[in-house]
Amino acid sequence: MPHRPRTMFAPLAAAATAAALLLSACGPGPAEKAQDGQVTLQMVESLTNPTRTTLLKKLIADFEAKNSGVKVQLISPPTNQADQKIQQMLQSGKGVDVLEVRDTTVGPFSTNKWIYDMAPDLKGWDGLQALTPNALKVAQEGGKSYMVPYGFYGLSLFYRKDLVQQAGYSGPPKSWTEMIEQAKKINNPSKNVYGYSFRGGLGAGGNAIAIISGYVIDEINRDNAFKLTNGKTIFSSPKAVDALNQYVDLFKNASPPSSVSWGYPEMVQGFTSGTTGFLLQDPEVIATVKQSKTIKEDQWGTAPLPVGPTGKAAQPLANAGWGVAQGSEHKKEAVELVKFLTSGDAAMTFSKENSLVPILKSAAEDPFFKDGPWASYVAMNESPDTYIVVTQPRGVPWSTEWGNKSDSDVQKLITGKAQPAEILKNWDEYWTKKWAGN
Amino acid sequence: MSLTTTDRARSAPAGAGNRPRPAGRRRFTARTALVLFAFMVPALVFVGMFTYYPLLSGIQMAFRNYNLNDLSDTSWVGLDNFRALLDDEMFRGTVKNSVVWVVGSLVPQFLIGFTMAMWLRRRFRFRGVYQALVFFPWAVSGFLIGILFRWMFNGEFGVVNDLLMKSHLIDTPVPWLADARYAMFSVIVANVWYGVTFFAIMILAALQGVPEELYESAAIDGAGKVRTLFSITIPSIRTTLALTVLLRVIWIFNSPELIFGMTGGGPANETHIVTSHMIQVTQEGDYGRASAMGVMVVFVLMLFAVFYLLAIRPRKGLA
Amino acid sequence: MIRSETLAGRIVKFGGLGLCLLVTVFPLYWILVTSFKDPGTIFAYPLRYWPETWSLENYRGLFDQSNFGVFIGNSLIVSTVAAALATVVSLLSAYVLARFEFVSKGAVMGAFLVTQMIPGFIALGSLYILMTRLYLVDNRWGLVLVYVAMSIPLCTVMLRGFFENVPASLEEAAMVDGCSRLSALFRVLVPVMTPGIAASYIFNFVNCWNELFLSVTLLNSDSNKTIPAALNGFISSYNIDWGSMSAAAALSIVPTMILFAVASRYIVEGLTAGAVKE
Repeated sequence: MPHRPRTMFAPLAAAATAAALLLSACGPGPAEKAQDGQVTLQMVESLTNPTRTTLLKKLIADFEAKNSGVKVQLISPPTNQADQKIQQMLQSGKGVDVLEVRDTTVGPFSTNKWIYDMAPDLKGWDGLQALTPNALKVAQEGGKSYMVPYGFYGLSLFYRKDLVQQAGYSGPPKSWTEMIEQAKKINNPSKNVYGYSFRGGLGAGGNAIAIISGYVIDEINRDNAFKLTNGKTIFSSPKAVDALNQYVDLFKNASPPSSVSWGYPEMVQGFTSGTTGFLLQDPEVIATVKQSKTIKEDQWGTAPLPVGPTGKAAQPLANAGWGVAQGSEHKKEAVELVKFLTSGDAAMTFSKENSLVPILKSAAEDPFFKDGPWASYVAMNESPDTYIVVTQPRGVPWSTEWGNKSDSDVQKLITGKAQPAEILKNWDEYWTKKWAGN
Repeated sequence: MSLTTTDRARSAPAGAGNRPRPAGRRRFTARTALVLFAFMVPALVFVGMFTYYPLLSGIQMAFRNYNLNDLSDTSWVGLDNFRALLDDEMFRGTVKNSVVWVVGSLVPQFLIGFTMAMWLRRRFRFRGVYQALVFFPWAVSGFLIGILFRWMFNGEFGVVNDLLMKSHLIDTPVPWLADARYAMFSVIVANVWYGVTFFAIMILAALQGVPEELYESAAIDGAGKVRTLFSITIPSIRTTLALTVLLRVIWIFNSPELIFGMTGGGPANETHIVTSHMIQVTQEGDYGRASAMGVMVVFVLMLFAVFYLLAIRPRKGLA
Repeated sequence: MIRSETLAGRIVKFGGLGLCLLVTVFPLYWILVTSFKDPGTIFAYPLRYWPETWSLENYRGLFDQSNFGVFIGNSLIVSTVAAALATVVSLLSAYVLARFEFVSKGAVMGAFLVTQMIPGFIALGSLYILMTRLYLVDNRWGLVLVYVAMSIPLCTVMLRGFFENVPASLEEAAMVDGCSRLSALFRVLVPVMTPGIAASYIFNFVNCWNELFLSVTLLNSDSNKTIPAALNGFISSYNIDWGSMSAAAALSIVPTMILFAVASRYIVEGLTAGAVKE
């Protein structure tokens, strides 16, 4: 048998080469290498989408141009795994300097001392004066600055002008009752047209809360919108039962049957594909609807959030912003980046291109936010006594758990497996128990 | 070279007992032992370091109050997480769903896979091309399959309803993923679609090893098709069947990605299986409870594997 | 040969095979057709089974807006190398497990089988911390290591079956001729086992190619991302970008399809032997 050791060792040689490559990859990662005082910031986003990522990169390039010696590496995990990844990064204490913090994550992240209180660094920063009162409140929640918000998400009603007109109405509905009436008229399953883009899947609980809040608005505790002024939960109110009864009616008689499983994409898709007449959504959707080629610009508009029986609605402004990791070794530069993104042109560009309720006072004078789809937001802003801004307890440690629970409970409700009173009793007990510290 | 192997494989059919015996079932010297140990080391190091080490440090969370939303108190709590799970009505529901999911996916996958393999056993024109085409589901990730089927099964703008209506099988759109009666059925359809291929490959592969003479002698004996199937075909490939089924049970049980992408467990948790619920609990931050679920999954599957292997062992000896 | 196939039997057989093909391929067809539709017409109702106009817009967007070429490259590198390394390592361990009896053999086999039962999610957090300590986060070679570990158990079990099909006399003869055990393994046994090795390699490759959670957890930067992570990135909270997603999915299937087409014979022959034994 002839010996040809070269051939026989070829696979081993390949393995050895690979191993060598692996070893050479050990040692300090690129992020920690400091060349000529160059600082590299690791920044990670959570509500990732491709368009927004492109926009962020542009803003980051501007920041780098203004701050020589600082480089920013943007990490964009897929949004459905982003928060989990951010948790892992924060827990390991390495690899992240600036991060997207949401109202749902700021509580847990600060409890675990994973994020840094920027309050001392922000003292005297003129950017603070430029913020709207709502934004300033978030940026200084409880005297700490764990994040500076980049924008707000507030609900408004997207509606189809043509369908509303064909159904014999002169304009969009003002209240939940009117909306349900109009939606029923529009509903025509045989033509694949439905009244309302119902949210039954991921996020179902949040929309159910929207109608409940509108019904109990006169007794709501504005700083904790799951509580009444008498200290009990909003779910304990008899009016909440009325709200859910209406809500089930809306589903049964004016929504697509399969919307039990609809989450954001389907709801929006239902509207942009021309299947549904109404859609309750955040301003972020404006950009998406504008891109639709199925419904034309003159076929749709937005209206303020529907009000409850007493003519008022609760606007729970959800928010997200930028924060700095406690483990960051470049906190000074990291804070500079947060400041840059939440002030001046960068902040304005971000809220415009991303369709967010802006954080800057100066936006009130900007024509962009005055006309078209944005008009309803201006209208809501101008009548703060009708559209009451409330704060929901979104930062509690059990917030994700509640999200999952309320979603599946809404599904039980609309599929007839549970009655409104049952669900509300259960929710009342859940929150009472959680607040009691158990 | 490959021809030799093929011939050898053919002449040494499964279960026929005349396959080359593993040679080294004998004592070996210390030097040989050292060489063999060196051969095993890389595999053991890799699996130990990147699979078992993270697993074991993950498992300890099952016995602690480990919630990422508040890590100020991560004390040991013994079996509390397990007790809480057993008391949880939703968890019990996911156990029931898991059984439906595994059995409902496995049986059709097996039957269709088996039939396909029987049909593909003889060579025909374009068989190679056909195989390459039907193997394709395997090349797509479960999560993507889930998302794709969610879109296709969408009640209003999904292609499944459109096709069924065009062919007049249904008059009104079926809310596949929204109605508790159809949701589990729909995810299982997707999973059957996804998994048939694997069965077909494995069984086809095994069938190639059954010698033609066995069929011929059965034909001479005047055995009908059904008898040939049960007295020749199935016994000859029994080991493959048994092991494929075992692996599939484990994999189906452990493949939440499809469900997660397709229904997210809905409606009203009707399609949540233990492992998809576990992803959800992980996202909620309760790592203690999620790990407890993971430990239970490993434990139950191990028990199943042991009993299953014991159950099929005696028959193996008969062959 | 028995020729018992009647005409009716043939009709049933090819009818059935045709139906299976149709059902299997339809989703693939749907991805392809969608990927060539103009982005604005994807949701048009009634549905179109043939695009009104063929558009490359989705593919163009893929390469203009993201570095899809880079993602494909990353996936190819990671999967190719990890599958190869895993096959080499498993060859060694499978050889030992096939040829020799030793005390802890059952334990090793059991430990390998258990890895198949572990829901990956338990270990993800600890793995991330481990990789941080090794400075292997956001490093493609780090992911390769983890993929190798992920592939070894099943690959070993498969290869063990193939080894049992090859008589030990083969390598014994080589060793009498003066080969070391290692060289006997690679020079005598490996060539005989080509189909089995090819099948195991493809199996590893496909598993690595499709892996999502580890990739998202361990890689950060765009320049390192693999295809499954990129595909997932088309799902944002408000929208699933079906146009780009279908185009990306269609492209991501190509390499595996090519592998299958080239090696479908090997897969069948390879898996046989491995599966029959245990």
